[in-house]
Amino acid sequence: MIDRFRKALSLIRPQFYRPDNQHLSPYFRFTDYKKIWGFGMLALGVAALLPLIAVTIIHYQLIQKSIDSEIILRTERVTSNARRAVTYFLDQHLNALRFTVNEFSYDQLKNSDHLKEILRNLKLGFGGLTDLSVIDNSGIQIAYAGPFKLEGKNYSNQVWFAECQKCEFYVSEVFRGYRNLPHMIVTVKSTRPDGKFFILRATLETERLINTLSSYKTGEYADIFLVNRSGVIQTPSINNGEAFKTITLPIPDYSPRTQTLMAADRQMNPIIMGYAFISTQIADTPFILMVVKQKEGMTKVWRQLHTNINTIVLFGIIAILIVITITFTFMVNKLYLADKENAETMASAEQTNQLASIGQLAAGVAHEINNPLALIGETAGYVKDLFFMEEQHRNDEELVEHIDTILESVERCGMITRQLLGFARKFDIKIQKVSLRQIISDVLIFHQKETEYRNISVHVDVPEDIPEIETDRGKLQQIMINLVNNAFQAMDNGCCLDILASHEVPENEVPENVKISISDNGCGIPEDNLEKVFQPFFTTKEGGKGTGLGLTITYGLVKKLHGHISVKSKEHEGTTFILSLPVRIKEEMSDNESSFGR
Amino acid sequence: MKQYDLLIVDDERRFADMLAKRLNLRGCNCEVCYSGREALNIMERKNFFLVILDLHLPDLYGSEVLRRIKKVSAETPVIILTAHGTEKDRQECMKIGAFDFMQKPLVIEKLMAILAQIGEMAE
Repeated sequence: MIDRFRKALSLIRPQFYRPDNQHLSPYFRFTDYKKIWGFGMLALGVAALLPLIAVTIIHYQLIQKSIDSEIILRTERVTSNARRAVTYFLDQHLNALRFTVNEFSYDQLKNSDHLKEILRNLKLGFGGLTDLSVIDNSGIQIAYAGPFKLEGKNYSNQVWFAECQKCEFYVSEVFRGYRNLPHMIVTVKSTRPDGKFFILRATLETERLINTLSSYKTGEYADIFLVNRSGVIQTPSINNGEAFKTITLPIPDYSPRTQTLMAADRQMNPIIMGYAFISTQIADTPFILMVVKQKEGMTKVWRQLHTNINTIVLFGIIAILIVITITFTFMVNKLYLADKENAETMASAEQTNQLASIGQLAAGVAHEINNPLALIGETAGYVKDLFFMEEQHRNDEELVEHIDTILESVERCGMITRQLLGFARKFDIKIQKVSLRQIISDVLIFHQKETEYRNISVHVDVPEDIPEIETDRGKLQQIMINLVNNAFQAMDNGCCLDILASHEVPENEVPENVKISISDNGCGIPEDNLEKVFQPFFTTKEGGKGTGLGLTITYGLVKKLHGHISVKSKEHEGTTFILSLPVRIKEEMSDNESSFGR
Repeated sequence: MKQYDLLIVDDERRFADMLAKRLNLRGCNCEVCYSGREALNIMERKNFFLVILDLHLPDLYGSEVLRRIKKVSAETPVIILTAHGTEKDRQECMKIGAFDFMQKPLVIEKLMAILAQIGEMAE
């Protein structure tokens, strides 16, 4: 589980975030992969998401606009229809009264029985009437037909009586009156035979008006009601309460036509308000029809859709970001790995070139030195020969010593040039079966005294199952001597030397190998020098004590034996040389066997 | 020690002369020449116990001289002694039939040891 998480993390946290290639940095084509990655991701992200977000926003605005206009249109239609219905309702009854006044004489009308007859007929014809009465010019109700006992009531001090005298037709607001119930009246003014006026008054069923209005109510968020011109509610409103309360909404300015506008209610919720000033063909009315819709409620479905779209867009953005991250990280990583491989190749090529050119130079120098060196050697040798022939010089120890010094130096130089040229006789290969255990113990015998004297503990671990290897015994011995010598020189007294061997069983195409590691806990090699240890003439020993060829030769010998050698080291902690040799050297190598002694 | 007839072929005149002198002191009978053709001429009229041959000769390359020597007198052992030998040279010469391939500067004792060895083999 943790592994899987780490694996997933490594996808996001790419290899170029691990600073493990400092030494390769000069060979990289691009230097800052983190920057490339960051900028690339940002650019891709912006390029991919910007259009999506822009389109989403524009889309919202368009939808918002079209929905607003749709709501307004619908509200306007409802308002307009309701207005027509209310106007028709009032018109109908005003016309009915006009017809009654024109059709019947004053005498007929003030006859209560007759009036009842007329009321019955009007109810049959139009409906919506509660009662009918005739009021004379002094405000006394002289005839009444209806369910209440209101005959003889004096209306002279009522507001509506004053108003209805002013014009021929009159529509009142809703009021309580003597019956103490909300009702509204329509009146028609007419003239008596004696020239004075009288009023025919009809009380309209407000229930009927309310029902008419409610029939236009569409949906639960719509509120449709009447107010008078000072904002007092005439028919019950869902959100503004019963009749006779004052609405909290602003009273709209007069307009002869149906109007719709966006506004906000007292709680600052957005609303759509449609209104119309009601006016019949023959009389003006105090009513304003109000249609109030809660925008929130009306757009509920749309807002649900909005949320769905938002969710989809959000998931889309996340998906795009994830895909971009994974794809781009993968690609930059591939690029980085390719670049790294290239850099490694270049670095190693440079190192190889360096080694090769140093080797060429060294070999060239060696060649040129050999002839004069040979002459020095032969001349000195001849001088020595001559001395040995003469009695007087043979015993001159000082002279002989001097000549021997020359000869030794020549021999030493010759050894160096031979090593450089890399083909001295000892480089011949003689393949035979060799026991690793034997070789190691032979080599350690050379150092036995030093081991005891310097109190160095040597630990050798060669498992029983290590096979005998077919290789050149002398060269393997030389390799081991060089490496063990090297370790002894690096160690202080009391340190440890570990020699471990292991057997690598062949696995597809990997040849059968033995591995020998020689570890010391001596002074170690600084990281800077680690790459140079196999270079010719590289030495850290003081003033000419080392030739700098020991490990170069070891390296050459290992290559001759078709093996591989590598070194690991930490300064002040120790050094490990790992030697890997084939159990069997391939046949073609044996051509090189010396013909010496045939 | 027996008196061996040796031929030294080397264009480094002073080295060749000096080597001849030293070997003569050790009981050999050395003849010296400084080019390949000269050496082949000499070998046509005389048999040698051993030829010491340089590779970088002015007229013929040492390996060619060796090849011709092997035609004239296949049984004469030839030691290559060179300052400029490469691994390839060594392999080629050993293939043609050089007895040994030595690198300058020479350690005379080694040469004497080889002489003794050849002497033993010859008996």
